[in-house]
Amino acid sequence: MSTQPIQIQPLSQPVDIGDEVASFSPTVEAEIDAHLRKYPVMRSAILPLMFIVQRERGYLDPPGVAYLANRLGLRITDIWEVATFYSMLHTEPVGKYHIQICKTLSCKIMGEPGITEHVCSRLGIKPGETTADGRFTVSLVECLGSCGTAPMFQIGFDYHENLTNAKTDQILDSLS
Amino acid sequence: MSTEVIKVTINTKEFEVPKGARLIDVCRDKAFDIPSFCYYSDLALQASCRMCLVRIEKMPKLQTSCTIICTEGMVVTTESDEIEKAQRSMLEFLLANHPLDCPVCDRGGECELQEMTFDWGNLEERFIEKKNYQPERYLSPMVANDPQRCILCKRCTRVCDEWMGEDAIEAGGRGANTVIGTYGGWLDCSQCGNCIEVCPTGTLLDGTYRHQARPWELTQTISTCTYCSDGCQMSLGTRGDELMRIVARDRYVNGLNGEFLCIKGRFGHPFVNHETRIRTPLIRYKKGGKLIPATWDEAILHVAKQLDAVVDEHGRDALAVVGSPRISNEANYLLYKFATELVGTSNYTTTDTSDLRPFFQNLGGPLATHRDIRYAKTILLIGGEPEELQPLTGKQIRQAVRNGGAKLIVVNSTPIRLTEQAAQFVHIRPGTEDAAVLALADDKNDTLAAEKLGVNADELQALRQSIADTQGDLVVMFSTELSMTAQVLLAQMPYSVRADGLRVLLHPLPIYNNSIGAHDMGLQNGALSATQMLDAAGESIRAIYLAGSFLPEQLRGREQSPRKLDFLVVQELFETDTTAFADVVFPAASFAEIDGTFTNNDGFVQRVRQSIPPVHQAKADWIITAQLAAELGVNFGFEMSASAVFNEIAERIPAYAGLRYPVLKDESNPVQAKYTIAAQRNLAPELATLRESVHGLPSTREKQTVTPKVGHELFKLGTLTGKVPQFGLLAEGNPRPETVRVSPLYQIAGTSKS
Amino acid sequence: MFIGAIGCEPLQLARVQLENSRTLDVYRANGGYQALKKVLSGMSPDDVINEVKKSALRGRGGAGFPTGMKWSFVPKDSPKPKYVVCNADESEPGTFKDRYLMERDPHMLIEGMLIAAYALGAKTNYIYTRGEYRYLIDIIDVALDEARTAGLLGANILDSHFSSEIYTHTGAGAYICGEETALLSSLEGMRGHPRMKPPFPAVSGLYASPTVVNNVETLTAVPDIIKMGGEAYQKLGTEKSGGTKLWSVSGHVNRPGVYELPMGYDDMEKFIMEDCGGMLNGTQLKAVIPGGSSVYVMRADQILGKDVRMDYEGLVAGGSSVGSGGFIVMDESVDIFESTKNLTEFYKHESCGWCTPCREGTDWLVKVFKRVANGGGRPEDAQLLLDICDNIEGKSFCPLGDAASWPIQSAIKRFPEDFKKHLVGTNGNQAT
Ligand SMILES: Cc1cc2nc3c(=O)[nH]c(=O)nc-3n(C[C@H](O)[C@H](O)[C@H](O)COP(=O)(O)O)c2cc1C
Ligand code: SF4
Ligand code: FES
Repeated sequence: MSTQPIQIQPLSQPVDIGDEVASFSPTVEAEIDAHLRKYPVMRSAILPLMFIVQRERGYLDPPGVAYLANRLGLRITDIWEVATFYSMLHTEPVGKYHIQICKTLSCKIMGEPGITEHVCSRLGIKPGETTADGRFTVSLVECLGSCGTAPMFQIGFDYHENLTNAKTDQILDSLS
Repeated sequence: MSTEVIKVTINTKEFEVPKGARLIDVCRDKAFDIPSFCYYSDLALQASCRMCLVRIEKMPKLQTSCTIICTEGMVVTTESDEIEKAQRSMLEFLLANHPLDCPVCDRGGECELQEMTFDWGNLEERFIEKKNYQPERYLSPMVANDPQRCILCKRCTRVCDEWMGEDAIEAGGRGANTVIGTYGGWLDCSQCGNCIEVCPTGTLLDGTYRHQARPWELTQTISTCTYCSDGCQMSLGTRGDELMRIVARDRYVNGLNGEFLCIKGRFGHPFVNHETRIRTPLIRYKKGGKLIPATWDEAILHVAKQLDAVVDEHGRDALAVVGSPRISNEANYLLYKFATELVGTSNYTTTDTSDLRPFFQNLGGPLATHRDIRYAKTILLIGGEPEELQPLTGKQIRQAVRNGGAKLIVVNSTPIRLTEQAAQFVHIRPGTEDAAVLALADDKNDTLAAEKLGVNADELQALRQSIADTQGDLVVMFSTELSMTAQVLLAQMPYSVRADGLRVLLHPLPIYNNSIGAHDMGLQNGALSATQMLDAAGESIRAIYLAGSFLPEQLRGREQSPRKLDFLVVQELFETDTTAFADVVFPAASFAEIDGTFTNNDGFVQRVRQSIPPVHQAKADWIITAQLAAELGVNFGFEMSASAVFNEIAERIPAYAGLRYPVLKDESNPVQAKYTIAAQRNLAPELATLRESVHGLPSTREKQTVTPKVGHELFKLGTLTGKVPQFGLLAEGNPRPETVRVSPLYQIAGTSKS
Repeated sequence: MFIGAIGCEPLQLARVQLENSRTLDVYRANGGYQALKKVLSGMSPDDVINEVKKSALRGRGGAGFPTGMKWSFVPKDSPKPKYVVCNADESEPGTFKDRYLMERDPHMLIEGMLIAAYALGAKTNYIYTRGEYRYLIDIIDVALDEARTAGLLGANILDSHFSSEIYTHTGAGAYICGEETALLSSLEGMRGHPRMKPPFPAVSGLYASPTVVNNVETLTAVPDIIKMGGEAYQKLGTEKSGGTKLWSVSGHVNRPGVYELPMGYDDMEKFIMEDCGGMLNGTQLKAVIPGGSSVYVMRADQILGKDVRMDYEGLVAGGSSVGSGGFIVMDESVDIFESTKNLTEFYKHESCGWCTPCREGTDWLVKVFKRVANGGGRPEDAQLLLDICDNIEGKSFCPLGDAASWPIQSAIKRFPEDFKKHLVGTNGNQAT
């Protein structure tokens, strides 16, 4: 029989929701309105809005979640169930630079392991971890549609393809 | 579902089934057993557990019978090696990450997964890897959660959404990391516990009963809830003399509420064995003195003497008899008999605040059953807040709208939660419900009504239109706000709004579990109401014999009245503001300790069954009355048998004619009292009176504009729920404890285990 | 990276090499929006659908369903609004053609969508793009603005009576949202769970209204079909599947890229060994996954000297299928046990968790693979893996479950040696 079990990503771990509700600048509000106008049903805008909140607040923090619930006329649980389904949405903080290395087959056979090794040793963290200064997070992710230009990683939303260690160094050096 | 029948072949046998029937139901109906977890009738289809696979000719691969609607000539196989392998493998998948420690699981012994596994037998364990794991936790004072036992059938999330309209619990995460839970890990809801009820495994558990007993140690007794007028059927799980838990699991009980219960029905029972129950008869020998324990003989004798004295000195009418909308029909009937036949006083009543006599005297059509509500086409709700005061009715309304496409019209001074489901919400001023009834009864009053209601006239027009357009059942529900006159007009609606294809059903929403029964027993036909009696205390009224206690609102401003009485006798479970003045207190038995009947707001006469012997020296209310009568020289002659009392009720009360306990034994087809349908009446006088009183209504009072928080009524601490510490937490706003791993009861200051 | 056509005139890729190919001017200068004009001046919706039927265009998203037929399922009389939704969720491992179509030639997609919208009477249309493709959403939004200002989008397009809007929508990282019904759930703001079929989207899709979901490449084929006529387009390919097809090539070849080939191109060996520049550093070909990860993996000897025709029938005959046209080429350095483990981890990560077999099955498969990889392999594990796959296949709620089992089933059958060497565990066959 199995020995000690695997702890799966805990989800509804207690976070204090508190009463604080995030607020945004008029420009951001206008951006949000623009998204809401696209759909006959407000809830459809949930993903675009989550990305905006994430961009503005670093991740979907409780005040941000409360904001989304109010803005979309949904219950907190509705936000939670959606936010935890999609791998690009974060309910915990991530580093300023989120390095997402593609680990799926084409990248894997074209040198992903070397790149991962290089990035991690350079930053001194393992995949899934964030540097102490909170600047870099490294994740191994599934196919990003760059198989023809493998290996690759995405930092934030930027694609970096045909990677070599040298190119990787350039890219990381260029990040303030 | 149409009445047309079609032919289907199942396992080579041919059957005629109604067109539109669902295959899984048909197979089960024809005794071909189909395993399933996610399928739950009248909830949104899920088709995710993949247990219910069958082979259907001309269809590729195996099909889920829960999603298939039978069609003419369909040929189905439910048993074959292929199907058995598929079903076994689904079970193997479900068990892969499921702990195999049933003996330590609270659901062990009544777990559907466990039973399914035993049924299949010899599952070799091929899964030798590490199991996924999530620690146990509490989601609220009521709901304990062991996530790793979850098979994601999502019954819980569906009942929370579809039955309760709360959507408080949901699935988060993805793939093998999917977990049922809530944002913040804390359940902020009405705590109905229906998620616990429908959970097939030990994932969601009764946090108040956690680790206290094993199912097989419990004796199950089917009974009726003592909290509201919906009269849910429930199973009382007892061990020895102790009531351990209450469930509605269909394996034990199969009543009008299915597996539904509200927080009070499910969790409100610990008062039964509570240490502060009154243990013996108590006598206060001199005013202002202490209540001192006494034997039954002493107490009965003492009371008999005192009552005799009062009647001798001041006449029969000086002795008032007061029943209660919370005690059984048998108890109320005997009090009526005691008052009218033995004492011969004209002063008898109940402590109920609502008086439904005008409604029943003018009843123009049948009462709606909860089933009628579910399948109604239009529902008109005047006043009230069912989701807090009659939760089952609230659930039926919600399902009628969601699953049945019914049209809900809410007339209320508050935007209650049900307005979310409403097609029309007529937002009226507080206390103007009568004006709405006036507008319903006669469209010539719209300007007056609209002004008083604070709505515009076409809203009233629209309301009448929806009623006229209804094809099928219209259910008219009304709460306790209506005046006597308004009740008459409403009761006659089946005549006044008559139209082809329209059937009008009426559904009163009184507050108490036996408000209707107490009315039926005739106890409200006396000369004075409870408050009038209190006002006359010390003058025309010198003594009161009371079952239960006066309500706080009845004593408000009359705190001193009971003092003025020469003699006050009270039958109670607990010491209350009323027993504080009592000269004698008899320890009464609770609903869990007696046999009897309650009559609910469907008019169903339902059984209450003894699940444990009366605690300490308590006795059933009716037995106390009978013994007192005997002491006063009249033998009612029921030989300690509640059914004998009921037989007399059936002889004396027309609506109950022909009923017997044996007729009422099957909770799955409840029996409705046969209320006489009054003929159509000329309502001109009532209309005139109502117009008058509506004229008198102020058109100034502010409408309530915020939707009240879930539980604002349910969580109020009463004499009974006040004995349940978990309710204490909820009343304090359900704070989230430091750690959700340990019961909040042991963590949050200001609350103790009892 | 190579982008271009082989063995035919470039259709889809006609403009990708041009400077500023993504601008409206360049698009128009090269025949852009001619098809839309043609449609709006004189063709009836049914004419359009008929042309698409004649073209024998089959869906390029993976299922290969005849597009004209799909369009004809949309009820004409329905009072509800209708929607055209472009499936730009491209998440199938080894597939990146849609990305370059949108990056280099967004107007072709817009024109194709508008023609579809006209044929189906859709007033509102969405492009559902995977969240990682944020930069493409920005490109398309620019293109949409260009089109709007040029009167090609919005009210009274090209001064006709036809009005229709297109909006971009972003996913947020979920392969399953490529499955059309899951995509619609996601577009409605729900978790990306697939929905029951029937009802099919064509009857009850987005907001329970008639909806056509088409892949990017499918829609970008439409303008050419209108321009050259359905028959002419069909003739470019085979009788059963017309036109040209984009293949995304990755892995151990000298010239990875996006290749436009006529349907029925002969043959696979020539394609890999010549067109794609042959094997990287002249290594030996070991295996090919020709249709994105969700198809059978092929052995070299099923390809070399077997002239496998590159179309639906040809690849099935060859022992796999077209899928999304994601060509993953592997040389003998690749351990097929490892590559299969890698893809299984992908499916586990992407299973939506709705149904038992896929959720629990993929999780279990990965655990077995990991145990074996850690030296805990046992000879019976091959059978165990096959049996788990068999228990998933055909029983899951949506095809992802099947997609997860096919690579494993084919790998174990076709590369037994790669599994054998792992299945005698190095640590005394003990489970860890
Ligand atoms: C698990 C799964 C993933 C899919 N992913 C995609 C995808 O990324 N892009 C796509 O166009 N179609 C995808 N499909 C196919 C779609 O379900 C659908 O068939 C297609 O979008 C229809 O468009 P078409 O007829 O133009 O191919 C996927 C299907 C499944 C079962
Ligand atoms: S097969 Fe089941 S679990 Fe897997 S993606 Fe489809 S619905 Fe979700
Ligand atoms: S009961 Fe049919 S899939 Fe669960």
